[in-house]
Amino acid sequence: MSRKQLDATLMTVAALVAFGLPLVVTSPTYLQILILLFFYAYLTTSWNLVGGFAGVLPLGHSVFVGIGAYTSTILTLQYGVSPWIGMLVGGVLAALVGVVIGLPTFRMRGAYFCLCTIAFAEGIRVMVENIDSLGPLKVNGPRGLLIPLKDPSFWHYQFMSKLPYYYIILVMLLIVLTLTWFISRSKIGYYLAAGGEEPEAAAALGVNVANCKLLSMALSCFFTALAGTFYAQLMLYFYPKGLMGLDLSFEIAFIALIGGRGTIAGPVIGALVLRPLNEFTRIYLSDMLPGLHLVIFGLILILVMLYKPQGLTAPLSAVYDKLARKITREPNAKGVAA
Amino acid sequence: MTAVIQATLNGIMMGAMYGLTALGLTLIFGVMKVVNFAHGSLLMVGMFSAYWLIKLTGIHPYLALLIVPPILYFFGYYLQDLVIKPVFRAERQVREPLTVIIVTTGVWYVLDNLALMLFGAEYRTVRTAISNKSFALGSFIVSIPKFSGFVIAVATAVGLALFMRKTKIGMALRATSLDREAANLMGIDQYKVYNIAFGLGTAIAGIAGCVLIPFYYVYPSVGVVFDIRAFIIVVLGGLGSIPGALLGGLVIGLIESVFSQFMASTWTEAIIYAIFLIILFVKPSGFFGNKQDW
Amino acid sequence: MSANILEITTLTKHFGGLTAVSALDLHIEKGEILALIGPNGAGKSTVFNLVAGVYPPSEGTIRFKDAVINGRKPWDLCKLGLARTFQIVKPFASKTVLYNVMVGAFLHTNSTAKAREKAEEVMAVLGLEHLRDRLAGSLTIADRKRLEIGKALATNPELLLLDEVMAGLRPTEVDDMIAVIRGLRDRGVTVFVIEHIMRAVMALSDRVAVIHFGQKIAEGTPEAVTRDENVIKAYLGGDYDAA
Repeated sequence: MSRKQLDATLMTVAALVAFGLPLVVTSPTYLQILILLFFYAYLTTSWNLVGGFAGVLPLGHSVFVGIGAYTSTILTLQYGVSPWIGMLVGGVLAALVGVVIGLPTFRMRGAYFCLCTIAFAEGIRVMVENIDSLGPLKVNGPRGLLIPLKDPSFWHYQFMSKLPYYYIILVMLLIVLTLTWFISRSKIGYYLAAGGEEPEAAAALGVNVANCKLLSMALSCFFTALAGTFYAQLMLYFYPKGLMGLDLSFEIAFIALIGGRGTIAGPVIGALVLRPLNEFTRIYLSDMLPGLHLVIFGLILILVMLYKPQGLTAPLSAVYDKLARKITREPNAKGVAA
Repeated sequence: MTAVIQATLNGIMMGAMYGLTALGLTLIFGVMKVVNFAHGSLLMVGMFSAYWLIKLTGIHPYLALLIVPPILYFFGYYLQDLVIKPVFRAERQVREPLTVIIVTTGVWYVLDNLALMLFGAEYRTVRTAISNKSFALGSFIVSIPKFSGFVIAVATAVGLALFMRKTKIGMALRATSLDREAANLMGIDQYKVYNIAFGLGTAIAGIAGCVLIPFYYVYPSVGVVFDIRAFIIVVLGGLGSIPGALLGGLVIGLIESVFSQFMASTWTEAIIYAIFLIILFVKPSGFFGNKQDW
Repeated sequence: MSANILEITTLTKHFGGLTAVSALDLHIEKGEILALIGPNGAGKSTVFNLVAGVYPPSEGTIRFKDAVINGRKPWDLCKLGLARTFQIVKPFASKTVLYNVMVGAFLHTNSTAKAREKAEEVMAVLGLEHLRDRLAGSLTIADRKRLEIGKALATNPELLLLDEVMAGLRPTEVDDMIAVIRGLRDRGVTVFVIEHIMRAVMALSDRVAVIHFGQKIAEGTPEAVTRDENVIKAYLGGDYDAA
């Protein structure tokens, strides 16, 4: 068996397991945990498009989740537009907003961009909390929006069971992962990495660094907003503080950094590690000592950054490399550089 | 009109508190090029230290100024030395170490939630000798703890600026902030300078904690309120600028206080963000920042 | 079409009150190697940065292939065929050598396969093949300098600006580098170098221009320039007014 065949086989097995998992996991509670795990992996993969590859640190991505959720929900509630269409509208809107944030800040030191994303996200959240209606659009301030139950159908993005949501988010995750894979191997991926690491050197090689970052920001915001619509339809209720708060923005960044930013598998690995940890420590520890689960969260973050600053993906892929070499019996299976 | 002037006075005094917090943040950023997300938590540590010191010993709150900041200095010094420095070392080839930012975020989570575990979520105040004292300035009332807070904040900013210009350590800090490689070549130990900068920034958070305690309440996530404002202030004043931090603080305090005369206080927060974004588009380097801050 | 690939006329750059470059005239013929030398702080790097579009000139014009390029951005100039290296090398440290060179190779193609092909070709020319999969951050100084040239060369430049590529190299490495640069010229690339190592300047250049305090004080063949009185004074200190 060659290395390529091994990779392909394992990938197929992983996909089959992901698609077949609901056959084993039938409890709605556990299915919901899995859905949220994929949801976070999807969000982080979208974040990674700009936060990982473009060498900047956006810390306000929850605002794009909010833009997605509000756009599609308002369009559904007030104009009867299918959430699927509203989802795309929200995505485009989020991409535009992302470009507006990026325009002044991508030309400056990274810290400005980082702080600007936080201020922007918080500013929008506070405004949404203060607005009951914006012209004809009913926003409902801090109370948030409730989506009434309709006949379950694909068009309405509402279903009888959790199962369709599971497959929707799984497919969304696979799409954005494929896109990431494609980008990382293409010109734009090379340009992003170069511009993120040494902007001046990249510019001297013909790279318009700011434009590349803007493009990746637009893509990242677009896909992040799609997750907002998904969340709205999954929960059928959301409010600004829960959906657009800094906690979500930071958690996305944490998952990316612990998993390994700028790698394809990083966001998925990060979500696989952090999400269950987060769910279980919250369930079992927060009753005993409030805050303990967040202390653990912070400590894990610090420890990973101290000992594996590149995230967990690098050491894991080294282990995989070693194993693969044993299986394929190729002494020098390093192959083509990724 | 009277109400507006009274609000202006209050705004300036509260703004000085924001400025004091931002001062430590801008110092750390200026030297290390790292946005310290744990800064609000360090302020919280300062406030709880002052709170317990005053509560348990009953000393005058301004005597705490002689005790808390030095303790916080060492707290910051060793926090940087043990937790942040190793990450810095691993990323020393990177010009802007984003991983370090995330580590400070981890520190923030740990400190805030440790405080939550130890002290619970309730808001605490301590009655001190000066808590409710005030004096009249014409027809306006000025609270003594807030006024002395203002004076101490200005004095701290002036003191820090002088320290940076006149002392050998201050000059080493400035040299490192201008060009860490060059400073390294001149025999300045970059990491020691970072320890000192972080220690000083934390000590300033300790000063802020001491002057806040007589009139403000303390709770585990109190830092967040000051944190977000401090971020806005340092961008407003120019990242790394000492006068910018103080001035930015006053501006934010004023806006908050004066606007809340005319609208719901939740809206004033939105206005602060809006002003921040406008500044970012119009004059991104802030009042005192370098145009080419690379 | 004039024979000059680059023509600089009355080029001036002020930084605040400081005049870094003052009324400089300079030209490079297609296919030649021109060295720009001068004492530290003479304004050599500023000239490079002006030509490469890092900042716009205060006065004067820069013509590249007969078109005025004042104020054009670095990435546009690179597309026109003007590439540069940096005095303090700037490799993409966390990436492999191949990756680094491919970034440059992508200038004229959107295909990853073609960029890789081009990069392999450039690495072969510069003798970097054996370092293909090494991380750029782990290279020796000499190899980093070579990589710096490789990245620039992969953009297919007509004019290549080399900023002190010999600095920090051992004598044998300098000889290697001289051979590399000669090889570039033989491939039809016009080369404009800033250099401190006089042995390299003498061996390489067709013409040498000397600047001091932002002004040109001599120009000519390497032999003529080193005999020039103004140049000797500038380097040895002496009477600065002579300049």
